[in-house]
Amino acid sequence: MKKDIYEKMDILANSAKYDVSCSSSGSDNNYKTGELGATHNSGICHTFTADGRCVSLLKVLLTNYCIYDCSYCVNRSSNSDIPRAAFSPRELADITINFYKRNYIEGLFLSSGIISSEDHTMVMILRTLKILRHEYKFNGYIHVKLIPGSSNELTEQIVNLANRVSSNIELPSDKSLKLLAPNKTKKSVLQPLKFARDVSMEKGKKPIGMSTQLIVGATPESDKDILKLSSALYDKALLKRVYYSAYIPVNDNNKNLPSTITKPPLVREHRLYQADWLLRFYDFSYDEIVNDDNPNLDEELDPKTFWALNNMSYFPMEINAVSKEELLRIPGIGARGVQKIINARRFKSLDFEDLKKLKISLKRAKYFITCKGKYQKEVPFYKDVIKTAIIEPKKKKIITPNLFDLAYSNITGEL
Amino acid sequence: MILVYDKSFEGFLTLVFKVYYEKLKPIRILKEMPNELFLDDFIVIENNEEHSQKVLDALKKKFSKDNFQRILNIFMCDSKDFELDLLNYIIIGFKNQKELANINNSSLFNILNIEKELFRHIHKMEGFLRFEELDDGTLYAKMQTKFNVAFFLGKHFFKRLNNQKYIIHDINRKIAFIKNDNFLGIQNIASYEEPKLSEDEEKFKKLWSQFFQSVSIESRKNDRCQKNQVPLLYRTYMSEFYKR
Repeated sequence: MKKDIYEKMDILANSAKYDVSCSSSGSDNNYKTGELGATHNSGICHTFTADGRCVSLLKVLLTNYCIYDCSYCVNRSSNSDIPRAAFSPRELADITINFYKRNYIEGLFLSSGIISSEDHTMVMILRTLKILRHEYKFNGYIHVKLIPGSSNELTEQIVNLANRVSSNIELPSDKSLKLLAPNKTKKSVLQPLKFARDVSMEKGKKPIGMSTQLIVGATPESDKDILKLSSALYDKALLKRVYYSAYIPVNDNNKNLPSTITKPPLVREHRLYQADWLLRFYDFSYDEIVNDDNPNLDEELDPKTFWALNNMSYFPMEINAVSKEELLRIPGIGARGVQKIINARRFKSLDFEDLKKLKISLKRAKYFITCKGKYQKEVPFYKDVIKTAIIEPKKKKIITPNLFDLAYSNITGEL
Repeated sequence: MILVYDKSFEGFLTLVFKVYYEKLKPIRILKEMPNELFLDDFIVIENNEEHSQKVLDALKKKFSKDNFQRILNIFMCDSKDFELDLLNYIIIGFKNQKELANINNSSLFNILNIEKELFRHIHKMEGFLRFEELDDGTLYAKMQTKFNVAFFLGKHFFKRLNNQKYIIHDINRKIAFIKNDNFLGIQNIASYEEPKLSEDEEKFKKLWSQFFQSVSIESRKNDRCQKNQVPLLYRTYMSEFYKR
């Protein structure tokens, strides 16, 4: 039976949803007069799903038919009882344009199962892009998931039409890949990314933005392994973003994977993102955040606080004296807070009250700073004491005097 | 002393003129005569074109481009009580432009924060505004916003809907940003009729709702997070949140 378009949308959006990447940021092309669409440097979220994720792009699979058999994936070929569907390139291009005009989306995020062969799949993706770019004159954002193992010529054509391409590494080591994704190797996943970078560099322009995704919690790799890999990818300027996805078990017949009753490790995913931010915007190196003694991120404390508590010799920092780089290391103070402090201290020397007035959160920062040489009084500067104070902040006691509370009346003489 | 002006930009500039030449020291500035009783003196500012023009010229001459633009931006935040802070901003700016970067001054800090709030609001609306296609192909969006952002949005969509006709209609302020073959800019809308939608409109709304439903992950459901990101206030015209 032929499926109607709503059913197709249901199936193909559903099977793309575990891919977390959905940003439309970092590319600012100017609009062209008489054409449709433009990208926005900061990215724009058009709505938020019931799980609280931003929807920026129409994120669908072209098809969820797949010849691969990756254990962690819903669309694996041996899952014979799931519904399958496919958009035609024309159909998908029409939906994209109509969604875009109504301001539902910033553009298209196109990925696909492997249908008959890698190259055939890429040709279908390319056809969709050509309709959008050439026929409909669409300048909005397009992100394409490259198909590992497809030919270089096709990759090159895609790179020329898309704003961003990606290829998901999924698992941080070759061993895990072999176990769970027998048709993929780390090399076959990274190869299209390297090629795409080279192609876009050749044209003398900025290299095309690229990203990848790592699954967290499906295999035994530690956070150290994961962050080491991310940091290597950032250092080589291969990638703009690494996404982390807490593994949500979808198949129940593989003893190498957590079963479907396991809860996804959401806190771990959150901490990994925090650490990732430290790598990209706070000038941390991965071995400052995790090392052989602490191969995994602390669940109770964010990585910056954790680092600070293990490097107490740098603290407390004098807010009026230290450099911008040092300010960035203070737990609880982010890039914006640092900018405010720098702007404000040009005019006067700051005390705790001034920081409060600037609406800088002192919840964690107050244990690590001095203002004009003064340190806060409630909690002494010892690692363990500060740690307890941060994890279990003292609740403010609300005292409600009551008629029969003799202790009160004894001391004060009042009821 | 309490000053009352008529909400208009010209009115505010006249107020600035009066403050300078009559050495007034207002403790409050109101947009209309209050109903309650105050013990202070009231001065109602009468618009004066000559005076407001003088102040405008002086502002343009003395203020840097960004600092001047900020005054205009703040004026779009019409649901805020920004007047006293903006007056201080102008007084400080006339004395010393460099001092305007001193965020230790609470007026300046407030002005910067109000402007930030405006930009955040615009950014949200850039994402959450929804167009519907009318039967003549025009894209039509209704909105009810806390600040006057129709012009900013019109500018934003001029880039992306360059080959389309569109209308961004601010229901509460009774104005609209219109782009068609003959007109580009803001117009007053005294009254309007519900326009007729195109045949495809229903189909794409339904597809969009379907997509919206299908991409959320049940095992990670988080209502509170969703409400923080898209407060109910914004959902009036967002069809994916309509109950079917």
